Amino acid sequence: MSTPALEIRNLTYRYGRAEALHGLSLEVEPGECYGFFGRNGAGKTTAIKCLLNLLRPNSGTVRVFGLDPARDEAAVKSRLAYVPDFVAFYPWMSVREALDYQASFRSHWNADLESSLLRQFQLDPQAPSSGLSKGQRTQLALIGAIAAEPDLLILDEPTSGLDPLVRREFIQTVIGAYQDAAPGRRTVFVSTHLISEFEGLIDRFTVLDQGRALLTANADDARSRFRRLRAEFSGELPPDREFADAKSIRRDGRSLELIVNGNGDAVLERLKACRPMNVQTESLTLEEIFLNSVK
Amino acid sequence: MRMLVNFKSGVPVYLQIVQQVKAAAAGGTLRPGDALPSVRALAEELRINRNTAARAYAELESEGVIETRQGSGCFLKANGASPLRRAVRSERIIAELDALIVQAHHLQISDTDLKSLLADRLAHFRSQLPVETSA
Repeated sequence: MSTPALEIRNLTYRYGRAEALHGLSLEVEPGECYGFFGRNGAGKTTAIKCLLNLLRPNSGTVRVFGLDPARDEAAVKSRLAYVPDFVAFYPWMSVREALDYQASFRSHWNADLESSLLRQFQLDPQAPSSGLSKGQRTQLALIGAIAAEPDLLILDEPTSGLDPLVRREFIQTVIGAYQDAAPGRRTVFVSTHLISEFEGLIDRFTVLDQGRALLTANADDARSRFRRLRAEFSGELPPDREFADAKSIRRDGRSLELIVNGNGDAVLERLKACRPMNVQTESLTLEEIFLNSVK
Repeated sequence: MRMLVNFKSGVPVYLQIVQQVKAAAAGGTLRPGDALPSVRALAEELRINRNTAARAYAELESEGVIETRQGSGCFLKANGASPLRRAVRSERIIAELDALIVQAHHLQISDTDLKSLLADRLAHFRSQLPVETSA
């Protein structure tokens, strides 16, 4: 196995007496697109700040490409780019100047990629950065992050300020452009609560809730394990106790809806034995899996 | 060819692509020598990541369905070029047939109906094939 791009072991962080992270562990392989899902306040940003040495963990370890961000801060930062949920630029700088300023800290800068993304996002290089909308500021920050072509891209809620219509396309463009040159090596770690935009992009993910990892899974595996079974009956619905192993049960008139995790085939057999008029099954989307995990 | 991905099917995304390319090849929509979209174009069209698109193509290549030509992309290979031995190929199709039979049982489709459905579908696929390969 190669050295993980990110490794978090038993990470605990407290703000005063309030515990923000409680024994969080996860590992991200190089080349993966990893989703870090959680509601606002789940501890996502705190964990990311520990990775960047912006916060010192109370206990546990974090490693970025095997390095300790507290000891090898410069080496770690040279290999990653981070786009926070709220980005700010020096207000006197134009778009061009803001990018040049970022490039001055980097040993490598892909100017072609930079100009092609500026065109795609229709950002005017001469525009003052102080006049940009929140979405445009995020776009500018992402261009700066990607043009440096780091081995790891850490995005904290990258789409939250954006117009819902452009959100999906935008994230596809950004991650696609980033991974294009070296898809096996470019790693993405993205924290978000707007999961549907990332449905097809995520290889693996962790659901974080109240500072704990509730679920870590491969996206395909998760979609095949979490299923919704819907059956319609002509007469009375079978009692709930028949399906005690379902994750949730909903009754609606003559139909019964079960959410199952991993035991779908067994539950489906029992459901069919109750002689419904018809049965439908479908997998849950990552967003639905997330909602079912945190409730 | 136009590909679609359904996240609610429970089938791994790369496998959905593999199955669609195979189906298009079996149905004649895709012919030997036809180019497949690039990994990048496929990823963008389906809104999936490049790893997934690349994995699908790697799988298709290892099964001998497509070939990669350096610098010019992926192409459908001529039929009959499967690198798998006949016994292995039979084994794979038997597993699929067994699953089909189980499914038919649950849908209360009789053996006779299943056989005639299979014949219908075979005829349907054959009718879509270009003339020179169906002979």
